[in-house]
Amino acid sequence: MPEFQFQSFSEFLAMGGHALYVWASYAFFAAVIAFNLIQPAMAKRKIIRQHKALLRREAARLENQEN
Amino acid sequence: MWQWFLTLGAPRNFYTLSGRYMPWLAGITVVLLGIGLVWGLALTPPDYQMGENYRIAYIHVPMATLAMGCYAMMACFSAGYLIWKIKIADMIAKSCAPIGASVTAVALVTGSLWGIPTWGTWWIWDARLTSTLIMLFLYGGIIALRGAFDSIDSGARACAVLSLVGVVNLPIIKYSVDWWNTLHQGASNLSLSDRAANPPEVWLPAFFVGFGILGFFLIALILRTRNEILVRERRSQWVKDLINGSGQEEVNNA
Repeated sequence: MPEFQFQSFSEFLAMGGHALYVWASYAFFAAVIAFNLIQPAMAKRKIIRQHKALLRREAARLENQEN
Repeated sequence: MWQWFLTLGAPRNFYTLSGRYMPWLAGITVVLLGIGLVWGLALTPPDYQMGENYRIAYIHVPMATLAMGCYAMMACFSAGYLIWKIKIADMIAKSCAPIGASVTAVALVTGSLWGIPTWGTWWIWDARLTSTLIMLFLYGGIIALRGAFDSIDSGARACAVLSLVGVVNLPIIKYSVDWWNTLHQGASNLSLSDRAANPPEVWLPAFFVGFGILGFFLIALILRTRNEILVRERRSQWVKDLINGSGQEEVNNA
């Protein structure tokens, strides 16, 4: 069974003196993962907003033609 | 099976089905990544030479693998678009490029951060590093090329051709460590034996992270492709219905 390999949590954070390299790697990894999920989600909201505005304009134009 | 693929190839079906299975995919991905990262960071014994520093491998290796896999996938869909003119193939290929570029960047940056304490340098023009950097430039070039065209079809064709030309780089990356005397190490031998250099306790967490990262890739790819479908199919009635309240639930859930 795998066991916790460090004596304490602060030793875990220290990563045997390699804290900077290990945690910077994982932080950049996490940032890129987050970017790839958040960016399309925000883009989708923008697309839906623009589509809605377009459809509203089209509906208004149709109404004007009928009058 | 073939029929199923053809159905999925219709943008509307892709949109509906991907929305339905997304929660499952997200759940599995979170579990796999959670197990793999905690295991690799805290529960696996340190390397006898590199100490704790080798824990970078648990993201460096799968991300570098994904960077190449993503390129191969982009090239396959580009070929599919060029040969059969499948619209969704181009949308998927387009979605691959920014994901692949960012994943390649992670492979390079984590490699550099690993290299500083172990090699004494963050960069060297060895074959593995240089060919991977070329892949990053290829991704960047494909994104820029797409932006340079006003017509969707012309941009799609140009990007598909460039993607296919760049495939030549993939075997160079893969075999660079065998063909040249690189500073980058060769592929590790994975063994089931407890006394091998890389016993299961070392590479098993990497499997979890690897499949978790694959799940992440599929999620990111599907999200971008769905956006692309919404933009390109905006004239079709089902997208209008989706935007106009009647499909309000879909919009909120997706």
